[in-house]
Amino acid sequence: MSLCFAPCPRCQAEEQPAGGGFVPSDMLLSPQQSYSGSILQPACSPAAPSQLGYVDGFDEEPPLLEELGINFEHIWQKTLTVLNPMKPADGSIMNETDLTGPMVFCLALGATLLMAGKVHFGYVYGMSAIGCLAMHALLNLMSSQGVSHGCVASVLGYCLLPMVLLSSAAVLFSLQGTPGTVLALFIIGWCSLSASKIFTSALAMEGQQLLIAYPCALLYGLFALLTVF
Amino acid sequence: MAAPGAAGGGRSGAPAAEWGGFEDNMQGGGSAVIDMENMDDTSGSSFEDMGEMHQRMKEEEEEEAEGEAGAGEEEDGEFLGMKGLRGQLGRQVADQMWQVGKRQASRAFSLYANIDILRPYFDVEPVQVRARLLESMIPVKMINFPQKIAGELYGPLMLVFTLVAILLHGMKTSDTIIREGTLMGTAIGTCFGYWLGVSSFMYFLAYLCNAQITMVQMLSLLGYGLFGHCITLFVTYNIHFHSLFYIFWLVVGGLSTLRMVAVLVSRTVGHTQRLILCGTLAALHMLFLLYLHFAYHKVVEGILDTLEGPNVPPFQRVARDIPVVSNAVLNTTAKAIALTL
Repeated sequence: MSLCFAPCPRCQAEEQPAGGGFVPSDMLLSPQQSYSGSILQPACSPAAPSQLGYVDGFDEEPPLLEELGINFEHIWQKTLTVLNPMKPADGSIMNETDLTGPMVFCLALGATLLMAGKVHFGYVYGMSAIGCLAMHALLNLMSSQGVSHGCVASVLGYCLLPMVLLSSAAVLFSLQGTPGTVLALFIIGWCSLSASKIFTSALAMEGQQLLIAYPCALLYGLFALLTVF
Repeated sequence: MAAPGAAGGGRSGAPAAEWGGFEDNMQGGGSAVIDMENMDDTSGSSFEDMGEMHQRMKEEEEEEAEGEAGAGEEEDGEFLGMKGLRGQLGRQVADQMWQVGKRQASRAFSLYANIDILRPYFDVEPVQVRARLLESMIPVKMINFPQKIAGELYGPLMLVFTLVAILLHGMKTSDTIIREGTLMGTAIGTCFGYWLGVSSFMYFLAYLCNAQITMVQMLSLLGYGLFGHCITLFVTYNIHFHSLFYIFWLVVGGLSTLRMVAVLVSRTVGHTQRLILCGTLAALHMLFLLYLHFAYHKVVEGILDTLEGPNVPPFQRVARDIPVVSNAVLNTTAKAIALTL
């Protein structure tokens, strides 16, 4: 399984592998070496020289997480980007479709809702799916360049993290009063600002951040309704 | 239909006896009519397997191109036997059906599901949307000159979704229970049904009354008219006073209705037509706001009436009325007991 999703300088600098090597040689030599490359593009590691036809033994297999494309370091970096809506985002965040982080956050939201006594896993997944479809349609209509389903799902999923904070607060005290409403509105604003910031920087729609923030706010408002009531 | 048969016969020349047997089955041998009753139905003519069949046929063609055609085909023919050759014809027929079906489906999909036809209606700036929102509450004065309507769908769509969200919030705070369906489904159905349904109805009436308005313009006009509804419901779902709602209904709802009515009047000629169009729109728009308030907010009002009602006195013990007759019985019994003791 090749790790090269996009041509990157490291691959082009070194020799092209004969027969498309499966195992990057640096992983063989030093398994403790961490991922290299930028957080927003998976690292393209050079393949072993031609004496390796294909992977056979157990020792030469890549680690499971690497094979699945799950990179905790990248996920952590992207989470930090999302948590700070005031920091300008890098446009290249849309190049990689990573659904592991979003899945973890949806599960966390469901788990915190469960702790508050509500079993709403189905609602969370259903609303995420329909929301992704709707946002994908709207973004394709409003932007000059297209956007794929995976990117929209990835961005919306990452920006769901503040909602997990809201539902954790719902475990400790009821949100049905004025302070709860104010907190919910604040969290909705935080989520939608992060999401619209990433969308506008990736799709080059600078003047229209508010126009994208509003539908995101409506979507996250639905999640907030689920959390509060 | 005999051509594929001939081609098939030409490709595998070795099992000639079986090919002859196939011809014997045809009525009036040598005619172009193929008796489908004698076709072996189990040899891959089912539509569901066509994908695999197509793939297999592609692989077969690739094998031919590499020059291993003869040996491969012979093995194929000998392996499948009689069924293989009869099935080949059926396979080709079904394959053609598959191709045609796929082509038609992709053409229909690209024609109807092409979302790009809506692209020009979403090309807006935030300042434009804000300006149009504010304008939707200001009735125009000049009705002799056709007023310009922005053919834009972003603002109306967002307003409809906002109305859905406000309705949902109102239903949740008032603990409304919908027995046949879900809260979300009801809210979305109501709002989108109103927007699309009343727009279509008004467009139809406008067509009858010869008004100059297109469907997109009607959708846009009615969508922006929902701004007044959003404001009214947002305020009155949180502050529960009947009189406040009626004031908002008249003022805010009335302003947005007046605006829509004025725009329509400016685009219609003739008094009767103007009356029909504007009367219908005004009635529907104002009644919808009344409906939204009363249908989804009853429970809260019921609770408030109970809380604000006259003070109920605490429960008092009231002596039971014992009739005179039983008093006499009681006295007689007491005397009888006293006598026996």
